[in-house]
Amino acid sequence: MSFQPSSVLLDKGVIRRVYERRVRMALSTPPTPAQVEAANVYAQLCIPPRRLYITAQTAHILQRRLPLFATPFLAETYSLQKGRYLRRWARRLRALMFAPEDAIVVAYGSFGIDLRVPSIGVEAIVTTDQRLATHFHTRHAVIAHRFHDMIAQLPAPYAALTLPTVVTTASLLAQT
Amino acid sequence: METLIVDAEGKVTIPPEFLHKRGLRPGDAVALIEAAEGFLVYQGGVDPQTLAWWQALSEEDQRRAAAEARRYEALSDADRDALWNEGAETLEADAEDDERELPAL
Repeated sequence: MSFQPSSVLLDKGVIRRVYERRVRMALSTPPTPAQVEAANVYAQLCIPPRRLYITAQTAHILQRRLPLFATPFLAETYSLQKGRYLRRWARRLRALMFAPEDAIVVAYGSFGIDLRVPSIGVEAIVTTDQRLATHFHTRHAVIAHRFHDMIAQLPAPYAALTLPTVVTTASLLAQT
Repeated sequence: METLIVDAEGKVTIPPEFLHKRGLRPGDAVALIEAAEGFLVYQGGVDPQTLAWWQALSEEDQRRAAAEARRYEALSDADRDALWNEGAETLEADAEDDERELPAL
């Protein structure tokens, strides 16, 4: 895979499909192509090790599932904390016609905090949602403009933040 | 990248070197996935992470996982969607109390 970011936010749809691929494994039933696609991308992103992140919502959902299925995901990923201004940026993304859930995920990509490093933002968001990726790329110029307008108004540490790239699982497999 | 030509019957031939490299044999199934870039011909099989997860489970845990998997698969699509939509985050300004200040980098 030529795509080798050091930090990746996996959106909920990716985790769901990898989870469901394991459900099919446990039942010895064939997975769907979408489940295979997500599971293969997940496996490729796990090796070599890199910083894999999920949102707080995805972590919340996994914590309520049977540990046999959920624990490996919670061990292999880290739940980003919401950094200050995350929702402000998400609301501006909403104004650019992102769905509420998509706006939150994209905002995590710039304002999600890893308290362990510490670091803020990720290089890439990986999604199964073609519509989200297409919208992000189509509107990238205006998104970048609004983003830089916003962070220019913020205190010093936030002025250096960046936008992540948004890539789909299918496009990652195409690079393999 | 390899260019394949669609014949009059809609068939494409995968070059022998790719079949050999991927261990594909006559009768093996591949999936055709529609992506933004076009179609991806996708080989099935189990990815190493899924396989490692399954093989690390004891027989008892594999039985428990299968029981849970049956419960999960018995859910309707709407129920599964609801399960994966729990705890949706709000964008409202009055919910910003849980936002953290950037730690010293």
